[in-house]
Amino acid sequence: MTVDGRYGWQEGGRVVPAYAFTRGRTRSAGEELPLEALVTATELATQNEPALQMEWRTIVNLSARPTSVVEIGAALQVPVGVARVLVSDLANAGYLEVHLPRPSDADGGPGHAILGRLLDGLRAR
Amino acid sequence: MDYAPARAGRPIGRPVGRRGPAAKRELIPLKILVAGGFGVGKTTFVGSLSEIPPLSTEQEMTALSVGVDDAAAVPGKTTTTVAMDFGRITVDHQLILYLFGTPGQHRFWFMWDELARGAVGAVVLVDLRRVDDSFAAIDYFEDRRLPFAVAVNQFPGTPAFPEATVRDALAIPPACPLVLMDARDPRSSLDTLVALVEHALARSATP
Repeated sequence: MTVDGRYGWQEGGRVVPAYAFTRGRTRSAGEELPLEALVTATELATQNEPALQMEWRTIVNLSARPTSVVEIGAALQVPVGVARVLVSDLANAGYLEVHLPRPSDADGGPGHAILGRLLDGLRAR
Repeated sequence: MDYAPARAGRPIGRPVGRRGPAAKRELIPLKILVAGGFGVGKTTFVGSLSEIPPLSTEQEMTALSVGVDDAAAVPGKTTTTVAMDFGRITVDHQLILYLFGTPGQHRFWFMWDELARGAVGAVVLVDLRRVDDSFAAIDYFEDRRLPFAVAVNQFPGTPAFPEATVRDALAIPPACPLVLMDARDPRSSLDTLVALVEHALARSATP
């Protein structure tokens, strides 16, 4: 990614570039979070929300309902890699629960049971 | 950071004592790729289905294998970003489906690899006036054994061809659904998703 701060918010006047509030990290250690991984704010996050730094607070507020890593990236106007780092930090601090996909067939797909439920859900719309 | 020990589907992060497991909602994210050439209607398709206005995000070109620090150590290596559209459908109290519109060009296949991993399947949108744009996507999903449906987006003025002719021209495997649709119409787009998931479900039953 570039380091010229062009991922700063266009409105609201963030002047600190995205890499600064992830302390230079553009990826999290360990397993990459899938783009579609869902997060929900914990009770701890709700309690401590006013004391959190701005980006964390925004994420906690978004995650009052299930929100994916990719949605957080879009809302903060940062690349997905930055969103991954922020989400990882918040999860490790106990502020977010992360809900990962559940690969169940040989190719890592969702498997028969989940596909059946997906089909039912789509048909019911 | 330790995601590895966490079992898939289980909430991770520090346990929060006041909320027992019973209070937790088990959520399962799902994804479907929407592929096709430039201007074929990917964003329109995602927008006609999504419960949120279609959003765009940036994906780093080298994010999967090389971080910014590593890139600095590789002379001449540059990192760029690619915009990607996505939408969301809450299917039921547990399942949330994401639709990812993926750039069709070969040079973006590094993104497809990540997106295809664990996906339900893919919709390949086709403009019959420019079928060449679809071959790369069809080949890719066939190679990866990812279930896919071919959706012919019927632009006004699109010539009508018999299904067999279209299948032939695009070299679509017999089992793969072919749908004639209008990406602007939510019902038509939903029918396309249903055709894909029916296909994926049938395939998951036959190992």
